[in-house]
Amino acid sequence: MSKQKKEKKSFLSLLVRNLVGNKNKNISILEEEQMQSPFRTVLKNFGHNKIAMTGLIVFLLIFAFVIIGPFFYHLDLSYSETSQINMAPGFKQMKMPSALNNNAAYISQGATFAVGVSNDGEVYVWGQPKISTTINMKKQIPENMGKVTMVAAGYDHALALNEDGEVFGWGNDRLKQSTIPHEVYAYGKVVQIAAGYQISAAVTEDGYVVFWGNESVNDVRVKKLQQGKIEKVAFTADAMIGLTYDGEVLYLGKQETAYKNVPETLASGVVDIAATASTCAGLLEDGTVVVWGNITKGENMVPETTGKITSLSAGRYHYSALTDAGEVVAWGADDLGQIDVPSSLSKKGITALYSGYYQNYAVTDEGKVYTWGLKGYLLGTDGLGRDIMTRLVNGGKMTMTIGAVSVIISTIIGIIVGGISGFFGGKIDMLLQRFTEIVSALPFLPFAMILSSIVGNSIPETQRIMLIMVVLGVLSWPGLSRLVRAQVLAEREKEFVTAARAMGVKKNMIIFKHIIPNVVSTIIVSATLDFATCMLTESTLSYLGFGVALPRPTWGNMLTGSNNSVIIQNYWWQWVFAAVILSICVICINCVGDGLRDAIDPKSNER
Amino acid sequence: MAKYIAKRLGYIVFVFFIISMIIFGLYSAVPGDRALLKVSAQRDKLTEEQFQMSYQRARAELGLDDPVPIRYLKWMKNILTLDFGTSSTYKQPVIDVVKTPMKNTIFINIFATILALAITIPLGIRCAVKKYSKFDNAVQVVTIVGYSVPTFIIALVFIFLFAVKLKWFPVSGMNTPNFQGTGFAFFLDRMKYLALPLLVMTVGSLGGMTRYVRVAMIDALRMDYVRTARAKGLKEKTVIYSHAWRNALLPVITLIIGWFLSIFSGSLILESMFALNGMGKLYIKALSDMDYDLAMAINLFYVVVSLVGNLIVDLSYGIVDPRIRINK
Repeated sequence: MSKQKKEKKSFLSLLVRNLVGNKNKNISILEEEQMQSPFRTVLKNFGHNKIAMTGLIVFLLIFAFVIIGPFFYHLDLSYSETSQINMAPGFKQMKMPSALNNNAAYISQGATFAVGVSNDGEVYVWGQPKISTTINMKKQIPENMGKVTMVAAGYDHALALNEDGEVFGWGNDRLKQSTIPHEVYAYGKVVQIAAGYQISAAVTEDGYVVFWGNESVNDVRVKKLQQGKIEKVAFTADAMIGLTYDGEVLYLGKQETAYKNVPETLASGVVDIAATASTCAGLLEDGTVVVWGNITKGENMVPETTGKITSLSAGRYHYSALTDAGEVVAWGADDLGQIDVPSSLSKKGITALYSGYYQNYAVTDEGKVYTWGLKGYLLGTDGLGRDIMTRLVNGGKMTMTIGAVSVIISTIIGIIVGGISGFFGGKIDMLLQRFTEIVSALPFLPFAMILSSIVGNSIPETQRIMLIMVVLGVLSWPGLSRLVRAQVLAEREKEFVTAARAMGVKKNMIIFKHIIPNVVSTIIVSATLDFATCMLTESTLSYLGFGVALPRPTWGNMLTGSNNSVIIQNYWWQWVFAAVILSICVICINCVGDGLRDAIDPKSNER
Repeated sequence: MAKYIAKRLGYIVFVFFIISMIIFGLYSAVPGDRALLKVSAQRDKLTEEQFQMSYQRARAELGLDDPVPIRYLKWMKNILTLDFGTSSTYKQPVIDVVKTPMKNTIFINIFATILALAITIPLGIRCAVKKYSKFDNAVQVVTIVGYSVPTFIIALVFIFLFAVKLKWFPVSGMNTPNFQGTGFAFFLDRMKYLALPLLVMTVGSLGGMTRYVRVAMIDALRMDYVRTARAKGLKEKTVIYSHAWRNALLPVITLIIGWFLSIFSGSLILESMFALNGMGKLYIKALSDMDYDLAMAINLFYVVVSLVGNLIVDLSYGIVDPRIRINK
């Protein structure tokens, strides 16, 4: 333990020496007597302060993280994804139980979880099965289901079909989507099941479709004429389509939507259908895929394939298909890696393909499963399905920018006011001092709040952000101006000022070119500590809703709304990460500021 | 001393008027027609002519036709007679709306201040006396964390620990809903609800103050008179508390003001987090409801708190350090 500590220490001191540039430790006595410039002394003192150096390094790391991060994590302000809300951190979305390895018979991907059946008819659930405090897909799997042959996973419920045609449901049952109605068994044996957003459907061998669940959100109706000939159904996010035994695609709904206009080419000869959240696709006998609906994310950009496409599968915003040559292709949205098919897959002898939401499973005839797509989120997602990592990185950039700009503003005002008032003294000093006192008597937070709510409500977002910077800067200079004034008062009696005056240098020049450089160390320390304060104030204002407005993230407003016990307890990742990084960042800046002050003022070093 | 107090009082009053002018100027710069807002509900019931009359009456009532300085004077005159206008959301005089929250806020803040001072001063002195010991280093680390972490994060962590995990305290509120008890039982129930916010406030304000006390005390302990006191054989306790501490108190008092104000700002956040019926929560609500008479009154309250804080510091400074009275 002690040895380790020693090593660590030597590494740190090495780092310090390299950073400060004082590499030659073995200098002779004569050299040691040499004068060192005050600036160098400060750097040396600072370098020897372990806490301050650690703080500096950690701060620089966080700074690099928020400056470089946005290049990799692009922020889309309007992004929200209902199927990905409140996802826990981790990459276990496609981590299948080992029992399914080489043994998978059927797989269905739900919003946050996946359901699979082994060749023995056992049902397995993986991903994030805990959907809310009461719904746990894994724990609620019904018992005594017999040999299950098919499963269907929806938004927050799942269905299973056994070899006797019996249907089971579990998961969210608030709209009766997982309570199986008796009609299911009235039209013969069930051969296919499907689950969508709060809705379920079963197709019998006589071609009848029975559906149950939330019919007000989903536009579903099967006409009498259509019953009795349907072979397969598929759900979009809010509608249902069907495929008849004659190879015709039917729209099973009553409203005039984009799905209703089924292309004429799909009136016959269709072998397979699939549906994403907002589009539908039909596969013709000759292997062409026809896509219709609200195409927004390139769902119709079917790639060229060498073989003929034989089966079709769909995720949330993408399609995947299997050709007769065993080739796997995918197209559509690629924001979460859902169409990045591994290139080695075509030689593996894939026979079945199961896509759903953002995940894909390709199964060989031996039951071996290959996966691609979204593994999960490093830091989880928030209540609107947005990736916390993306928001953390971009929010940090915003918080730091606001902090930095407001410190620059307050430092400039502080130097000017303090410098003038210290140098000229007399009436000007008196006036400026009273002014400073008035500003410092303004209650900070309430005042920043009126400014941002009165002025800020009527201007666009970028101007509002600038306003916050200005407000923070304009309200936080008095402390610095007092420091500068006191320092200038001491400096102006020194000889070099007298000399400058004797030479006829202008008064402004004396203040800002001769005196201020001598008090710059005080200014740096104060600015560092102010930077931390400004970041804190910004996040407090944003947290209260008077700073940067949602959906643009900052570390402060990422915590807005998290002070209720449900989020605090169940979705800890939604507040812990932002809170931790903000705290660490401010602690580090404060450590650096303290270290600098100690380095500049040798007297305070003894404290 | 009397002259000194009078001078400070005069100054405080002057600053109060200046700040009230700034606040009034800000609020009167709000875009939007308040008179129209007031009568817009009647628009469908009245004919155009009647509506115009009622609108003009509202304008006259609110005094919108006067130039800003005249309006300020009228407003100030009303305020000096304790008439703060009418809250547009509560349809009540502001003074009635504000009464209970103000009592709560002042109680919470004074309680937290006393609690925090009772902890920080002995802690800071102890750290200074045993500087560089393990105890001192540990406290130093804790305090730097304490003053760096924003109040709302401390609150989140404490809610998580004490309200959600351990279930010692309720998450938010002022009293158990429909609580019937009176007297002491009521007080106990109230304290159970206030315990968590008070704890957060105290912990949040420990950091900075402990450091100030420690630094001031270290400076004082290095002085010659401390060495003299020790040399003449006084008890260490007497040296620390009677000789060193009284001199260390001076710089500490100047810093208490900023700290006291930061506690009030902190309570603004905590009141909205813990759903306490205080000035902070009311202020946020007034601002988001655009209830400007109420918001202005609360703003003035914060200004008065800040100025009274200043005054108390000035006066106590005068009491502690006789040189100041004489110089001014």
